[in-house]
Amino acid sequence: MTDMAEEKPPKRKIHWIAHFREGWSIYKQNILGKIGLTLLVVFALMALFSFVPPLIDPMYHPMTGVDPVISSSEGPSFKHWLGTDFMGRDILSQLLAGARIAFMVGVSAAFMSIFLGTAIGMISGYMGKFVDTFLMRLAEVIMVMPTLLVTLILAALFGQLSIWAIVLVIALFRWPGVSRVIRAQTLSLKQRPFIEAAKVAGASHLRIIFRHIMPNVLPLSFLYMTFRVTSAITIEAALAFLGFGDPSTVSWGMMLQWVWKTGHMFKAPYWLLPPGICISLITLSFYMLGRAMDEVLDPRLRREQ
Amino acid sequence: MECWSNGCTIMDNEKKTVLELRDISKIYKTRSSFFGPGGEQVVALNRISLTIYKGEIFGLVGESGSGKTTAGRLIVGLENPKEGEIYLNSTEISGLKGRALKEYRRKVQMIFQDPYQSLNPQLSIYESVAEPLIIHKIGGGVERLERVIQTLKTVGLSPPQEFLYRYPHQLSGGQRQRVAIARAMVLGPEFVVADEPTSMLDASYSAQIFNILLNVRDKLKVTILFITHNLAAARYLCDRVGVIYKGNLMELGPADEVIQNPKHPYTQALIDAIPKFGHCGEIREYKTFLRPQRKASEGVGCPFFKRCRKADETRCRIDVPPLRAVEDSHYAACFFAEPGHEKRPESDACLLGI
Amino acid sequence: MALLEVKKLSVGYNTKKGFLKAVEAVSFSLDEGRSLGFVGESGCGKTTLGMALMGLLPPNGHVTDGQIIFEGEDLLEKSEDEMRKFRWRKISMIFQAAMNALNPVKRVQDQIAEAILTHNPNLETKEALRRVEKLFQLVGLPEGRMRDYPHQYSGGMKQRAIIAMALSCNPRLIIADEPTTALDVIVQHQILEETRDLQKELDLSIIFISHDISIVADVCDTIGIMYAGQLVEYGSREEVFDDPMHYYTRALISSYPTLTGEKRELLPIPGESPNLIEPPLGCRFCDRCHASGDSCSIGPPEWVDITPTHKALCGLCLK
Repeated sequence: MTDMAEEKPPKRKIHWIAHFREGWSIYKQNILGKIGLTLLVVFALMALFSFVPPLIDPMYHPMTGVDPVISSSEGPSFKHWLGTDFMGRDILSQLLAGARIAFMVGVSAAFMSIFLGTAIGMISGYMGKFVDTFLMRLAEVIMVMPTLLVTLILAALFGQLSIWAIVLVIALFRWPGVSRVIRAQTLSLKQRPFIEAAKVAGASHLRIIFRHIMPNVLPLSFLYMTFRVTSAITIEAALAFLGFGDPSTVSWGMMLQWVWKTGHMFKAPYWLLPPGICISLITLSFYMLGRAMDEVLDPRLRREQ
Repeated sequence: MECWSNGCTIMDNEKKTVLELRDISKIYKTRSSFFGPGGEQVVALNRISLTIYKGEIFGLVGESGSGKTTAGRLIVGLENPKEGEIYLNSTEISGLKGRALKEYRRKVQMIFQDPYQSLNPQLSIYESVAEPLIIHKIGGGVERLERVIQTLKTVGLSPPQEFLYRYPHQLSGGQRQRVAIARAMVLGPEFVVADEPTSMLDASYSAQIFNILLNVRDKLKVTILFITHNLAAARYLCDRVGVIYKGNLMELGPADEVIQNPKHPYTQALIDAIPKFGHCGEIREYKTFLRPQRKASEGVGCPFFKRCRKADETRCRIDVPPLRAVEDSHYAACFFAEPGHEKRPESDACLLGI
Repeated sequence: MALLEVKKLSVGYNTKKGFLKAVEAVSFSLDEGRSLGFVGESGCGKTTLGMALMGLLPPNGHVTDGQIIFEGEDLLEKSEDEMRKFRWRKISMIFQAAMNALNPVKRVQDQIAEAILTHNPNLETKEALRRVEKLFQLVGLPEGRMRDYPHQYSGGMKQRAIIAMALSCNPRLIIADEPTTALDVIVQHQILEETRDLQKELDLSIIFISHDISIVADVCDTIGIMYAGQLVEYGSREEVFDDPMHYYTRALISSYPTLTGEKRELLPIPGESPNLIEPPLGCRFCDRCHASGDSCSIGPPEWVDITPTHKALCGLCLK
């Protein structure tokens, strides 16, 4: 009897590993997925390394680092691999810091909006009737509001928004898209016999939602999270570019704003191009990640030669 | 003898009634579809009364649209009847809610038809089978494990340890259905509804499931309602059989009796239609199915009138035959049902006509 | 000369896990006007066999060996263009769950007419519709329902429409894969009866494929039992049912409940069917067979002729 009880934990772990391995072998075959993942690893490394430059020399600090010698925008050199901005600050360290912000904003905003969207989608789909109608109308109202515009208005009303306020606003405006998908999935799951079986076993509604529906809906949530990350990053970049970002953080959008504001748009390609390329690439790589994950999660999309 | 509007049932003093349906009706409204009118009322069950005795396997036989699945769903509380009452051990249970409903669920369980959909794909076999125990807060971790292992053994999934942490997609259809049976049995219920448990399995795997049900009935003393469209399976498995057509009970009696000596033209038509395995000479053909069907209005007269070759044009068109005793414990809802064996010529015509 | 002669046909699929040998060295022949039934559980290769005969294997399916000789020609030698002209005109197929594949937004008559016109491009639409009318009469569908949409048909009617479609170009052979699953018992019986009548009337040859031996038992002249990609028993209906030789056939028949005769205990077949990516070297039924001997697992079994028309792939069956 005791060895049966001991057997239980190891077997569980084995399942997760096997599941992951299976998913990975499918993922590996997707070229897009591999490119996307590689790029993301590069960006992640950038984000991690962002702490390094100021430690080497204070002049490399993205915000406050001032080169004693250079005090204007200059091209790439041995000291500054990507050159300096209008104040003489190192562009590369700004780029690294921007990667960190991109991940932070992207992942937190995505996570929050998915959390909200999944919960609301499940409850809406499962409860149906009045609750469903109310929540979905609310979702529609929010969905049609242009996120960027509203955030700009909020910024205008409340002055400069901190980076976390921006994350919160993005999350609050981006849950409807997810919730509709999760709701559709919940509706189809609701009819499945295993849900009826849970009812017949005596499960309460809450138990059915969290024990039976949620695990089946989570893969979709994670998938959508990758897409949400791209939109979060883009929104933050746009806000920063327009001048409504958090002035105490160095993001790629902020960098673009500085290029523009200081009239260096056409004069300093070494300053203009890196942040722009980074925004495009990180968005693309998250998208590719999402598409490859889609194939892993939905067996029907897999191709057999 | 006790009588209700749909007929009379003899209360056998020796047998104990476990489940009783009294004048049960269920009506569905079809939703208007893009192409059709919709908004119609479909009578799934029309004032059915049924008694099931303790320890028996009762077969409810009918084709699609007969209402047999609906009856099962009403019994387990997935839906409520529009009219009539359901009694478990003489306690009325239709319309139960909350705690009382949960208590009821400990005693009455269901095995679903589709083994590919009735197990949560994200839960391991252990988790699926232990779920009812967790819901009803029975036992601690170790006890639950023991109980699940025991139940898996009873349904023939041996060695149980091999199956505990696998997932449904790793099991075959037959194995999944056994897990579904285990899940239904783990609480030790009194009554189980088995809704066409083999119709989605290959015919060669059905025998396993039948034998498991017999085993479970003998070992765990459960009463089973076996819903099926397969009369031959009902003959093998069931003590008594009820034949249902368009929401009405047409014939009721001991399984062997009903199959060897069917009294209702619909039952006879079913028997005619079952493949004979090439052994045609042994079987009498009743030829009661009328093709093409008669024109008649719905809801009036005998439900089988449109398709019945034996029907009387005037009487059967207007009057509804009640379910009455034709022989000892053998009931049929037909004006022409008579005791004794029907004199019919032996048919030597096989389907193939060779 | 037989209408169809298949010699040692082998078919497999490329899958991520390896090459799945779905059909292995199957040989049989079918005369004109006769019906042949293939019975086996899911995964035994019967559907693959049907698809291979029609040349309709999916992209990852390949015929690795054998010949399919129809009216004297080897179908495997034909190009896709030639097969396209061949299909439906000479051999047509009723796929599994075909009645669910009817186009819901097209009238039934139009769908059948389309099948006719695709294979007879020189025909006028009016003429095609006239043929549809004749087909409706043939399969027992009321003419007044020709202009209906599929959802207005009952299950039995849909299946009859599918049969009409399969007959539309007057084929010599029809391959019917599970033609009556999802139909009620009485309708199933009618369809089988009508199919038999049609077969006689049109001198058609039919290949039935089913997992349900009882369906095939009543309708087919010859039965082939398939297990794990191989044909394991082959003979006339009477021979296979009255005198089953292969242990799988015996087990299959005794696992079916019957309506008549004495009530005996149903003996289920224990275990599961083998992995076809790496099939066992010996007899594929060995580990589930209660009569297996030492010789069974060492090497592949040989065909044993029980009568000139009845054979079984089992070394032990005559002992």
